[in-house]
Amino acid sequence: MMGVQPFETIVGAHHAEIYRYIRRVTSRATEAEDLSQETFLRAYRAYRTLGPEANVRAWLFAIATNLTRNHFRSEKRRRTALLAASVERREADPEGPEDEARFREAKTLLESTVRGLPLKQRLAFILRKIHDLDYEAIGRSLDCSAESARAHVFQALRKVRLSLNGHALPPETSPTNMEPPR
Amino acid sequence: MSRKPRICLEIEADLVAAATGDAQPGAVRRVEYHIDACAPCRGEFRRYREIDGVVGVLRRAPAAAESVARAREGLESRLADLKSRLVSYRVFPSPLGHILIARSEHGVSLVEYLGEHTDLGASRLSRVTGVDPQEDGAEIEALYRELLEYLRGDRTRLEWPLDLRLARSDFHRSVLQATAAIPYGAVTSYAGIATEIGKPAATRAVAQALRWNPLPIVVPCHRIIGTSGALTGYAGSQIGLKQRLLAVEGVRAVGTRNDSRVARNTLYHYDRNDQREYCLPTCGDIARRPIGPVTLLASRELAGSLGLVPCTACRPDLHPLTV
Repeated sequence: MMGVQPFETIVGAHHAEIYRYIRRVTSRATEAEDLSQETFLRAYRAYRTLGPEANVRAWLFAIATNLTRNHFRSEKRRRTALLAASVERREADPEGPEDEARFREAKTLLESTVRGLPLKQRLAFILRKIHDLDYEAIGRSLDCSAESARAHVFQALRKVRLSLNGHALPPETSPTNMEPPR
Repeated sequence: MSRKPRICLEIEADLVAAATGDAQPGAVRRVEYHIDACAPCRGEFRRYREIDGVVGVLRRAPAAAESVARAREGLESRLADLKSRLVSYRVFPSPLGHILIARSEHGVSLVEYLGEHTDLGASRLSRVTGVDPQEDGAEIEALYRELLEYLRGDRTRLEWPLDLRLARSDFHRSVLQATAAIPYGAVTSYAGIATEIGKPAATRAVAQALRWNPLPIVVPCHRIIGTSGALTGYAGSQIGLKQRLLAVEGVRAVGTRNDSRVARNTLYHYDRNDQREYCLPTCGDIARRPIGPVTLLASRELAGSLGLVPCTACRPDLHPLTV
């Protein structure tokens, strides 16, 4: 029958990542909590009808993306989220050594640029760059072609590049020892 | 910014993709070839590589374990709640009209005659609270096939896990449980069930509980009749259904549509006794005693399977009923 693995296994394997994804998109912990839960509740309802060969991870990302997009249909909510994010950010960044501080600054700027992107670009960027989904899957999540998904990511990167204009960045390889604890 | 040459504009998307490790086949060579000759684009390429490094840090940054754990905890509890409410159902055609079968994760929770109707709106499921109905297929289809076999007489048991959540009270549940124990081909009365559950005065309440039986056929309330042998109510006033279900099991009824009763002269009788003997309906006045204390049985095989022995006076073993 359908659903090769018990649903609990699916939750165990993917919940943290889906939460992280939505958290990054919405910026607010309570919204991320709610939307990630909603994602798995929807998935549970539909799980039994899912074919045995389905890519469960991509499927969950598609559900999460859909819910998130519906959530942001109300532009007001989005503004509130942005506002909350800027407050949170200021609180979350402690002082550090100079290099690290510069790096943090770039990262912070990157994060806020991503938050300010149009929703589709933001979702495509996060799905591709943070969660490594392929463009086919991103297209399915966003109701567009793989090519459009690729174009969204390109546009997002261009905007990131513009916003980081004039900021000194560590060359090419990223300093892994500078991952700030979140 | 000054305007870029057209060739640089054209290659920009590929350049960004190549610098961020995301290029399509063939693009990398094109980009390499171009930036070899174009210093501004070489600078852009380097810049995008740097940006990719920052993105990499973003990618590796773990979410706060605490908030993940909190979200997970909330999910577990909402999932448990959903599972407890979720009931999948489907409506099927049958010789008895459309039948809705519903099951939860614990077992079958509803079998309902819908007659002409085929939609959820006609079902109790759409009206009870605390239930989240969802149309579903495969699992319920298997139940349906067994039900059809049963109605054809090709199967005498429906060994389904049951979920009695739609029973209205603990009393109703105990009535359903006692009724579920009445075997195929046997008939007892509402009074008999009332006695069985230790509430001999509750005959009417038993009848009422069975009127709301959420699991007809599976919990065989059609095997429960009046002490006089009258079939009395079934699924509203569909005594015809009751008669058909009993007929499948070899229990015949006589009389008119509105006054239909089991044909006691075609059934073996068991009046509780220490010898566990069962009788022919012609044994003394046994066929005139109320059903309840007396259980009616469609066959000698059934009597045997219940551990009963032939009465030494009327000898049903020597004189089987010929129907």
